[in-house]
Amino acid sequence: MANLFGRAFKPSQFLQSKFAILGIIVLLVVWFSVAFALDRRTIFLPGTTSPGHVLFEASCSSCHEGFSPVTNETCLRCHEAEMAEDAHGPKKFRDPRWADLLTRIDVLTCTACHVEHVHIFARGVHLKPDLCMNCHEEIITGELASHDGFAPDGCWTAGCHNFHDHRSISTGFLRQNMNAPQLLPTPEVPVLKEGDRPTKPPKPDLNQEFLQAKFEIQNANLASRGKE
Amino acid sequence: MKGRKTKQLIVCFMGLFLWWSLLFFSPTAHAGSFTEKHIEEINLLWQNSAHAFADVNCSSCHLQPETKQLIVSPNHESCQSCHKQQVETFLLGKHGIRLQEGLSPLTPAMARLPMKEAAGDRQMNCNTCHDVHSANTFTASVDSCLTCHNDSHSLNYVKSKHGLLFDQGRSLPKPTADLVTCATCHLPRQKIEGTKTIFVNHNNTYNLLPRDRMVKDVCMNCHGMEYSYNSIFDDELVEANFAAPPTQYLQTLEMVKALEEKRSGTEN
Repeated sequence: MANLFGRAFKPSQFLQSKFAILGIIVLLVVWFSVAFALDRRTIFLPGTTSPGHVLFEASCSSCHEGFSPVTNETCLRCHEAEMAEDAHGPKKFRDPRWADLLTRIDVLTCTACHVEHVHIFARGVHLKPDLCMNCHEEIITGELASHDGFAPDGCWTAGCHNFHDHRSISTGFLRQNMNAPQLLPTPEVPVLKEGDRPTKPPKPDLNQEFLQAKFEIQNANLASRGKE
Repeated sequence: MKGRKTKQLIVCFMGLFLWWSLLFFSPTAHAGSFTEKHIEEINLLWQNSAHAFADVNCSSCHLQPETKQLIVSPNHESCQSCHKQQVETFLLGKHGIRLQEGLSPLTPAMARLPMKEAAGDRQMNCNTCHDVHSANTFTASVDSCLTCHNDSHSLNYVKSKHGLLFDQGRSLPKPTADLVTCATCHLPRQKIEGTKTIFVNHNNTYNLLPRDRMVKDVCMNCHGMEYSYNSIFDDELVEANFAAPPTQYLQTLEMVKALEEKRSGTEN
């Protein structure tokens, strides 16, 4: 044994290092428990959080239920509007012509392209930007003359195609809206409906209550106003 | 002896760690009370506001409906009782997501975009942008944004065509449809699904990417499609807040034009 560790190794040092290791373990346990107790959970993050989610990265339970994998339902809790018209949704892959393509890349699972806390390319996508080539390589290799020789990573990064909702950038949409003037004759901003306005506002109804109230102001904005 | 010393050291370190950790979490509270003058000022603001004319009185927001207890600073939940979609969408964007996920409100100090230093600790809730007593939409649609945002795009707004239009309309009771505010583009008006009712989508992140989302829902309300796309895909122009007409013609649009010509050619 002594030969194995060399001459410099002494039992007293071993004792010391054992305590050092123990000490570190104890420190880590304390540090983790304190982090938990004080809601400082960011120290548990396995990597950098994407710009879209970084603001609430301290709230693990927003996306994680224990250690089980993140499900589509979790994502849809916030991203329902984005997925309302999904060009690569379940409807597309119910068609037997496309169903097999799911074996190349399982695009019906959000985490196939959107993994969190790893290097993100852009828009929450962690795959290399040429991900479309998994299924659409023919487009740039001869199937569509107009796209011959296009870069394999340019489909979405150049802004021409959207994976999910492509309604406002589809060829059909562009064709329909060609040749419009720079400035339309009249702006067509949706108008907010307003109710009938009475001629006189009512009398304020809580003045006395506010004057008598004793309270602590937690809100910084309100506190600064109170001082004015 | 050495073992005991190490133990003592460990205990010391643990204590230090605990103290350091506790430093992270120190709540700040300010005691305060309102004076008659303060309440008079608020009443005056409120009496000319859309809230007053819609019969939304002090008690509508400041009184807990069941317990009849005074709520000094109502939060977004109170606003939600009337402005359901607005609050729901606010909570999904960067401005509101922390509240939705049970964290402290967003402050400009947490942002990655350049923010005004003086605004660093402003807490993001409905009242931060909408001074709810005056409910002034000039404030909410431009002035509030520029209280915090300090990036070139935001700062260049004031001298942009959109900003000049807005300035000309300052004397109106509220911004009209032809005034282009920050909110016109970033908090667009949309239909509530399945109805004809229009509401202001307060998810400020929603139409930023992909960029065509803003083109269809916002730019194309006033501009042609080509003009809109050529502008929004020019990063320098975006930074200049669209100070000049676009100088590029996107290859995509050229391809669609060529396709169109080819189709009409074969049809004739």
